[in-house]
Amino acid sequence: MHPRLRKALTSIFSDGFLIIYFMFALFPILWMILVSLKSGTELFTTQFVFTPTLENYQAILFGDPRAAAGVVARVDFPRNFLNSLIVSSGAVVISLAVGVPAAYALARYNFKGKETLAFTFLSFRFAPELVVIIPLSLIYRQLGLYDTYFGIIWVYQLVTLPLLIWVLRSYFEDISPDIEQAAMIDGYPWYQIFMRILLPLVRPGLAAAALLAFVFAWNNFIFPLVLGASTVQTVTVSALGYISSAQAFFNRMAAAAVIASVPQMMLALSIQRYLIRGLSFGAVKG
Amino acid sequence: MAEVRLDHIHKTYKGGVKAVVDLNLIINDGEFLALLGPSGCGKTSTLRMIVGLEEITSGDLFIGNRRMNDLEPSERNAALAFETYALYPPLTVHDNIAFCLRARQVPQAEIRRRVHEVAEMLEITDILGRKPAELGGGQKQRISLARALVREPDVFLMDEPLSHLDAALRAHMRVELKRLQARTGRTTVLVTHDQLEAVAMAERVAVMNFGVLQQVGTFDEIYNHPANEFVAGFIGEPPMNFLDCEPASQNGETSLRASDGSFSVKLPGELRSKLDKQTVSKLRLGIRPIDVIASHQASGNGVVEIAGQVYTYESLGEEGQLAAHVGGSEVLVVTSPDVAFERSQPVWLQLRTHRIHLFHGDTGAAL
Ligand SMILES: Nc1ncnc2c1ncn2[C@@H]1O[C@H](COP(=O)(O)OP(=O)(O)OP(=O)(O)O)[C@@H](O)[C@H]1O
Ligand SMILES: [Mg+2]
Repeated sequence: MHPRLRKALTSIFSDGFLIIYFMFALFPILWMILVSLKSGTELFTTQFVFTPTLENYQAILFGDPRAAAGVVARVDFPRNFLNSLIVSSGAVVISLAVGVPAAYALARYNFKGKETLAFTFLSFRFAPELVVIIPLSLIYRQLGLYDTYFGIIWVYQLVTLPLLIWVLRSYFEDISPDIEQAAMIDGYPWYQIFMRILLPLVRPGLAAAALLAFVFAWNNFIFPLVLGASTVQTVTVSALGYISSAQAFFNRMAAAAVIASVPQMMLALSIQRYLIRGLSFGAVKG
Repeated sequence: MAEVRLDHIHKTYKGGVKAVVDLNLIINDGEFLALLGPSGCGKTSTLRMIVGLEEITSGDLFIGNRRMNDLEPSERNAALAFETYALYPPLTVHDNIAFCLRARQVPQAEIRRRVHEVAEMLEITDILGRKPAELGGGQKQRISLARALVREPDVFLMDEPLSHLDAALRAHMRVELKRLQARTGRTTVLVTHDQLEAVAMAERVAVMNFGVLQQVGTFDEIYNHPANEFVAGFIGEPPMNFLDCEPASQNGETSLRASDGSFSVKLPGELRSKLDKQTVSKLRLGIRPIDVIASHQASGNGVVEIAGQVYTYESLGEEGQLAAHVGGSEVLVVTSPDVAFERSQPVWLQLRTHRIHLFHGDTGAAL
């Protein structure tokens, strides 16, 4: 075959594949947005042409007339949204505070049981959440952590911490210790070396890992379902409230989901330039 | 500027590796000294102790009469140019060089002046705005030197600064480093395992092996009067030949006989009297390949010639290299280009007897 032709065919195939994958990945999102704009009567039609309504958004944000009438359970969406925001950002902040030094130590120092420790962190992600949830909930009730912000933030460390540690460790390992030592001879204390030299080098990894950790925490369902109750209800859990025994209000649920995905999208867009570099692990060049 | 004095310095790493053993060395004010030795002999450890990155296990380190053992690296005013350059990737070349001045709160105007001064000296003014990742090895090398020099250190330390450059650039930088040192007049220590580099740049050379300092001196001293068998074998290319010998008596004069009886050599008066003063039974005779003359026939003019057999011969254009078997040992010879040899041919070797070095058979120390 003519090489030019072959090249053209290859690019058609790869573009075509990407387009198909795109549609596959984006269609549910499109459908979610469409459903969130439908009124109850149009909910189960598969038409793309309908009269859009903001009724669902209004209902979840400012109170549902039907909930007031007692038809469905009351869902305080704004409050749950705030809860999600608090526990997810809290979890990421604590993971950063603990994970950055931990990753640095694992990358730089040799100590007994280093690999075992690193592996233990990773193993947090091995066990399915459902396996640990029963004992955890017993422990939480004993310790009084049940349905507290602190309790949820703590359990989220199982999700966020391993990710941060493992991504950042490989970043720190790629930075030559000579660089730090040169800065030491130049007369800088460690925290300044960290802020001025190391941090800029690990920033792509830090941004990407923190974003992913936030997304995982935000989307987590099982931990707040079992370990939280009325006080710390997150959007993922409260979405269940739109399904009553009589009827499922998928349009309300979709509207809630659309709003709930806004913070993640905004974060992802704002750090977009780090994202690709950051996720191709350890791409620091000296 | 200052003199550096290492006084009974030891370095033992965790796990018991003795990297430096009882090192006594004075580097004079303004001197350019090369620390030379095979890989793993403790050169880098020594350098890192001087600059303060590695704790001194025991002994005292003085820079200009101040004891430095317990001072932080930044308080010693010693600059180190790393083998890996260790530039700061997020900073521009200018900021890399200015980094240490900023730590010392040097005024902005003076920083500019000093950075530009070293940049001019090292011919890097045109890349001051670039980032290290965009630059080639030679340029990074210069930046790392500029960064070390800009602080006007008392001692300037370099750890294998040229090992990552290609051959042409290395030769060029050798000359330049020497010029730079002469111009700044700073006390300088260069670590290298390349003797050519040491000869080309340094005034004195310190040879180390297994953490122990073997000999310090000018290159001529070390080359012509090696203190022991290790130094003799390490300095000079191709390396010196060593043959097992024992003293013998020939017509009442002390001479040497090979332990395996394959040859005997008459000694010049100087060596003879040295040998007469001591009682040694086992000796090692050292002779450099260029001090052996190989020919196809015995000259028959009365000089002692050793019979051997050609093992390998290689013609390298300006010279040839011949390895011959003499008894049980192998002798390397640098031959003149106009005689060629064939494998397994008989060959006659004549030693320039006044160039013979003698070492104790057991200790390896020079006689
Ligand atoms: N941090 C360390 N911990 C334990 N042993 C070490 C450490 N650093 C060096 N060593 C050991 O100490 C000895 C001397 O090492 P050093 O780096 O000083 O040698 P060198 O002469 O610089 O060698 P090279 O030419 O390979 O750079 C070596 O045996 C080395 O393995
Ligand atoms: Mg070294």
